[in-house]
Amino acid sequence: MTVVETPPPLPVRDRAALHERAPGALSPMLIRLAEERATGVLVREHGTLHLAEGRVVHAESPLAPGLDVLLTARGTLDAAAWPWTDDIPAALHRLLAAGLLPRGALELCRLGALYDAGYFALAPSSTPGRFRYGDPAAAGPLPAVPVMDLERETLRRRELLHRIWPDPTADGAPLIRADPVAPPPVTPRQRAVLDRVDGVRTAPQIARELGRPAFHTLVDVRRLAAAGLLAPRSPALVPPLLPPVTDPDIALLKRLRDALEAL
Amino acid sequence: MPGIDECLLEAMRLPGARGAALVDWTSGLALGTVGEAPGGDHETTAAEAAELARLAAEHGAFSTEDDTEVSPPVEDLIVSNRDSYHLLRFVVTSFDATVFLHLWLTREDGNLALARIRLGEMAERLVLG
Repeated sequence: MTVVETPPPLPVRDRAALHERAPGALSPMLIRLAEERATGVLVREHGTLHLAEGRVVHAESPLAPGLDVLLTARGTLDAAAWPWTDDIPAALHRLLAAGLLPRGALELCRLGALYDAGYFALAPSSTPGRFRYGDPAAAGPLPAVPVMDLERETLRRRELLHRIWPDPTADGAPLIRADPVAPPPVTPRQRAVLDRVDGVRTAPQIARELGRPAFHTLVDVRRLAAAGLLAPRSPALVPPLLPPVTDPDIALLKRLRDALEAL
Repeated sequence: MPGIDECLLEAMRLPGARGAALVDWTSGLALGTVGEAPGGDHETTAAEAAELARLAAEHGAFSTEDDTEVSPPVEDLIVSNRDSYHLLRFVVTSFDATVFLHLWLTREDGNLALARIRLGEMAERLVLG
């Protein structure tokens, strides 16, 4: 008998529900900063967002590979050619001016990296965010992303992961391979992830090694977990990377914190 | 050198073009959109098209016989209905990305053969300059 596995559908944003929750479903502080067209850096527990006039020009997270990793991992850009600087907009300027990368490729990779790091930066956190005003020169040569777009996309991505496999433990824990009785077929991209599962590496580490966006790696990790091909190591000991927010007490505390943050 | 928007605007100059988008097939994110969207919402269209693209890109049935490392092995997808064509063209990048161009054409004015050739050229120019 042929068994065709149908993957869960990609979630579509429910606009009605969104309006009830938004704006500020993820970070009221961010919405306020967008409204006042602030320029500066928002530092949150799992990442930072760089704003120029209330729009996101750059995002980074220790959990998501940066543009430098994505572009040099597979030789798109020679590591020596990357303008090693913390100032990403300036780096983009230099890459474009030097003609090292076509504009389309750079836009594509940078937008992907921005939404990727933004997903982690806007993850539920246990500490309040801080905003440092300053440096209006932060605007880069590529278009900035509206805060609401990043928030909506982040919510949609959470839902996508949840639909694939509702247990977030595998997102941040060291992964081990499981050995199901009848292993389902694995796609080449999933194979690359599975080959690096060794009981030590976590999904973000695998993403970095592959030079692949971390969220894309999480999608494959959750699919592999759902298929029974991998599992988080000793889930009881390792706290999930992004704590689930379904507990009403936690949700209440988070709302309280967000409200305080917004004052 | 064209950016994402210039590439999509160029696609819209094809006869019968109603809408175009650059979409990530892993996340379902629309990286850029122009023109109309079927049903009126680019985000919904992107998420739905991404699902179809992902299945075509990942299933072994549609891969090539040689074992070259071009990812994905599928070049494009054509979906036709009674009043329009949808053309999905995978963009092959040197870095790790999962994106495709989605062009929506009216059946009356669209020229599928021409659009297929042009969209392939645009996908290449977008990332190779």
